[in-house]
Amino acid sequence: MSAWLKTARLAAFGLALAAVARPAVAEDATVLPDTSRVVAIGGAVTEIVFALGEQKHLVARDSTGTYPEAAKALPDVGYMRALSPEGVLSVDPTGIIALQGSGPKEAVDVLKKASVPYVEVPETYDNEGILERIRVVGKALGVEDKAAALAAETQAKLKAAEARTAGIDRKKRVLFILSMQGGKIMAAGAHTGADGIVTLAGAANAIEGFSGYKQLSDEAIVTAAPDVILMMDHAGPGVSDDDLFGNAAISQTPAGQARRVIRMDGGYLLGYGPRTADAISDLSKALYGDKAAD
Amino acid sequence: MIEARDVAVSIGAKRIISGVDFEARPGEVVAIVGPNGSGKSTLLKALSGDLGFSGRIAFNGRSLADMKPVEAATARAVLPQATTLSFPFTVREVVRLGLLGGRSGALAGEEGRLPERALAKVDLDGFGARFYQELSGGEQQRVQLARVLCQVWAPVLEGRPRYLLLDEPVSSLDIRHQLGIMDIARDFARRGGGVVAILHDLNLAALYAERIYMLHAGRLAAAGLPQDVINDSMLEKVFGCRLKAGAVPLGPMPFVLPQSALS
Amino acid sequence: MAVQPVAMSPTDSDAAAGDRSARARFAIVLLGLLLAATMLAGLGTGASNASALDLTYHWLTGGFGDAVSARDRIIIQDIRLPRILLGTLVGASLAVSGAVMQGLFRNPLADPGLIGVSAGAGLGAIVVIVLGATVLGPVLAPLGIYALPLAAFFGGLVTTFILYRVATRRGQTSIATMLLAGIALAAMTGAFSGVLIYLADDRQLRDLTFWGLGSLAGATWQKIGAAAPIMVVALAATPFLARGLNALALGEPTAGHLGVPVQRLKYVSIVAVSAAVGASVAVSGGIGFIGIVVPHLLRLLIGPDNRYLLPASALLGASALLVADAISRTIVAPAELPIGIVTAAVGGPFFLWILLRRRGVLDL
Repeated sequence: MSAWLKTARLAAFGLALAAVARPAVAEDATVLPDTSRVVAIGGAVTEIVFALGEQKHLVARDSTGTYPEAAKALPDVGYMRALSPEGVLSVDPTGIIALQGSGPKEAVDVLKKASVPYVEVPETYDNEGILERIRVVGKALGVEDKAAALAAETQAKLKAAEARTAGIDRKKRVLFILSMQGGKIMAAGAHTGADGIVTLAGAANAIEGFSGYKQLSDEAIVTAAPDVILMMDHAGPGVSDDDLFGNAAISQTPAGQARRVIRMDGGYLLGYGPRTADAISDLSKALYGDKAAD
Repeated sequence: MIEARDVAVSIGAKRIISGVDFEARPGEVVAIVGPNGSGKSTLLKALSGDLGFSGRIAFNGRSLADMKPVEAATARAVLPQATTLSFPFTVREVVRLGLLGGRSGALAGEEGRLPERALAKVDLDGFGARFYQELSGGEQQRVQLARVLCQVWAPVLEGRPRYLLLDEPVSSLDIRHQLGIMDIARDFARRGGGVVAILHDLNLAALYAERIYMLHAGRLAAAGLPQDVINDSMLEKVFGCRLKAGAVPLGPMPFVLPQSALS
Repeated sequence: MAVQPVAMSPTDSDAAAGDRSARARFAIVLLGLLLAATMLAGLGTGASNASALDLTYHWLTGGFGDAVSARDRIIIQDIRLPRILLGTLVGASLAVSGAVMQGLFRNPLADPGLIGVSAGAGLGAIVVIVLGATVLGPVLAPLGIYALPLAAFFGGLVTTFILYRVATRRGQTSIATMLLAGIALAAMTGAFSGVLIYLADDRQLRDLTFWGLGSLAGATWQKIGAAAPIMVVALAATPFLARGLNALALGEPTAGHLGVPVQRLKYVSIVAVSAAVGASVAVSGGIGFIGIVVPHLLRLLIGPDNRYLLPASALLGASALLVADAISRTIVAPAELPIGIVTAAVGGPFFLWILLRRRGVLDL
């Protein structure tokens, strides 16, 4: 028999073996019985724990947990989608609160197998998602009242932020530029965090027709005709105004001709956490100035 | 005996050799001579089993086309024109590769020292620990010959004669080693084996070969005893230049003969 | 014209001048001990302070009562032990495959990527990462976490198969054609991968990057159960290739003259390498340099004789990868560095050093 077939048979056998021998894994928890040593995975989770004032329970966070500043002092267990199970276990956790999408799955399975209670926090890019996250974290830490209060406060802020721009007829067209490496412009289409925030701030994404972050052609930029460019603040050297408006395509747009650009901190703008309502307000203020009702 | 009848070889659409009849008998050194491009290497490659051919080639009565690589390796050993090596093997390790087929014909206890004996034969005594890649072209060629000798150490195995197929074995050697190698070939033949050698040097061929095959443009121009094949008119026709063939040197040009040929 | 050798010359104490087999056998014994030591050391190393000795003690005294020792047991049994075993198999597979490829292509710089297996495995992985949640969701969902390894493994096999068919005419495989066709194939898979990368979102790009950097972190007993048989069978086939590969160094015609069945040698080599490397890449992503640096280093120490080089490569490759894994698990603890970074960071300069030392002896 050809060696190809032999190998294929072996592979099939291995797969069958694997399929049969799945490990028994514990179900997700919703409450952490012991909150003395908690690991927070996911920037939003870390932020919410601090916002609830419960940071004393934290013993570690992941590499996306950079706000507030105090979080950076905690040990970093790595990128949330490339966790090392032994690394997490080495900080001796009594519970883990992790954003949906943490992984890899094998690592999560081992953590559950090690009988460390694991709470998963859902991730959606809308207002209700923000509130739900706050409630889930609060329940996990056993501070549901605080969480409810924070959620209510956040909801009020979000409503107020949205109301600010409710009366605006002509929505400004915003182009969110992720990067301008080598003259290539990466912009945000639909179904991105940036698109969501722009909408919540009462503006319209200048880009229609694609989702995700994509490279835009010069023609597409001119056709989009944005009124304002929105960019993230970078820690290092970012794109200067001259570089930005020096770009041939951008200089042809209303934003380019008026030299209108708004820069905001990335984590603040796109975090979808407790501060998001403030971010929405700031953005709408920057976009509409006094026109936005206060 | 190696027997070849009406052998033709084509590479792609091009016919390289055709209509070649060839014989190499045990106890004989047979030389293949001819100008560049006459098909000498092609004929040898066909005899070695490297190239497809039409016609018939048989070793000791067995058709070459029917022989598996292992069988052919027992019947004959091939010395190629040049061999490059990409890895730092020592000389001894290269020579030892000749014993891969396991049918050298040496006695059981002897095989361990065979590489040393073969190296001594080709005047590379003590070279065993040197790295092959560092040697000169001529030295490398002699190492390859030592390997070939190991492969068919016993010229006759189980009653069947074995053959050395040598493609220009002395081209990069100085005169002393040229003669040394040809002496080895003659010795192999005298002990019952057969030798087929492609040679450029007509004098060497005339001295050492029992029979000569002369190729010209892919066909056999002449075959037979050296004194019959090497004559002025044949040489002019085949090689395209005027040569004087004779038993003694004639004219003002120097003509070198080894002492052993004069006796 | 002779250049001074910088490789170690055989000493007078060798049985016969130029015969390095005694030294090679001794080296293999040492490497075996090294591997055993590395495996034990690896079992005792990690971000946490779980100790294998403590574990053995608890086992013998029959108590896993307290939570600490229970956690330690999980760490050693379900995290470190599978990793050590997987690392041993993958390290051995990559190193031996590298040595076999170098013998087959008659070039010390050849690596398994030349037969297309890495390009195919990478493409399989990208397809699952980018399309797995959307277009291919229904198809891949039942496979769970095995979708990626399976896609990578079969991707590698398929591309190698295509390459083999392209390069084989009338039963004869041309290594030179395989090399050139491999370049074309790499370009095509690169284009296809490029399209998928273009379609990928942030998260998928990150996943892809991490996969490309390689990691033994996903080692589970299930994965070992699936991959180990393939790798072990492939590795077990290689000693039979040793003599043929040695002869191949003199060129294909000469190897044939010596009685080596050259076409069968090529076929078995290609199948063994694509299976072993395909399985390795499938379970641990892209780990580089082991296949080139380990055989190269061993050739300098014990010579290029494949009868010793192949087993020695397996042993040293396994040890090297385990050491790299130990580093990756501890250097940024409690986080973990992808192992491909460690092998590249150490392997790259090391390889450069080897090349500079050997300049002049090698035709580069």
